[in-house]
Amino acid sequence: MKPKILFILIAVLGLLAYFPAAASACAVCWAGDGGPADNAFNWSVLFLMAAPYTVVGSIAAGLFLAYRRSAANPAKTKSVEPLVHLTLNPEDGGR
Amino acid sequence: MAKSSTARRFDEPLAVVAEKRPAFGEGGPPTPPVSSNIPIGSNAWLAVLIFIGAEAMFFAGLIGAYIVFRVSSPIWPPPFQPRLPIAATGVNTLILIASAVTMRRALKAVVAGDRKQLVRLLGATAILGGMFLAVQGFEWIRLIDFGLTVSSSVYGGLFYTLIGFHGLHVLGALIWLLIVFSLAKQGRFSKERHVGLQTCNMYWTFVVGLWPLLYGLVYLL
Repeated sequence: MKPKILFILIAVLGLLAYFPAAASACAVCWAGDGGPADNAFNWSVLFLMAAPYTVVGSIAAGLFLAYRRSAANPAKTKSVEPLVHLTLNPEDGGR
Repeated sequence: MAKSSTARRFDEPLAVVAEKRPAFGEGGPPTPPVSSNIPIGSNAWLAVLIFIGAEAMFFAGLIGAYIVFRVSSPIWPPPFQPRLPIAATGVNTLILIASAVTMRRALKAVVAGDRKQLVRLLGATAILGGMFLAVQGFEWIRLIDFGLTVSSSVYGGLFYTLIGFHGLHVLGALIWLLIVFSLAKQGRFSKERHVGLQTCNMYWTFVVGLWPLLYGLVYLL
């Protein structure tokens, strides 16, 4: 087997070993008494987990829409007059 | 200078164009001139967009904390606490939403090149925003009189923290808007150049868009 595939397989198996169900690592899930506080934390965690994806996705969508708008209006995005020529004499191709 | 220097010496005759040889490779057509890429948005627009993202995460944290206390309490609002003014705040919500409409129309006015309309609409937005803050302040004074304070209960602490921070953001947006209004009166914005107004509109839309979420979460649910 290729070393890269083997490494990925070992990494995935290693991650599986750290699941809370196997390691009882989550203090809220495994130390709580199953009351309303656990439910409250669950909902709060779900909300806070979704928040960064929502925010970053919205920013990305805003950038994409701005790009689409500028692409639809090529007159505004056409290159302006060149800032500088890379050679003093544009016809000069060498030294 | 060193003998091996490649710098041209003053006594050296100028090379004839035909005798010039390329420094490397075969030579060829000259490289194209450097031209700028016009960005899709200004730096200020991007900065405010990312700032709004950071503010959104700030409110997400506060809302997350509110959710923990709200869902874990069997009775909400807790007993013996003053009830929130749902109806008055509902009307206040409509006032704030109206301010977002006028702000949006102000942006359209600057794009259309109508300076008088721009100034009028910015003024209307500022008045509506000020009304929102005034009504909120008045309701808060009444709630404090009825005994709901930051230290009276978790309910009071959550309410004033969440709604208070939103109020602070509206106040900041209002101060920004007044500066933009003053600049608009001086004629500093044009169809081609109105980044200040555009970014103010973005931030105003954010604080207005956040309010119905907070109103529904804190007042209605």
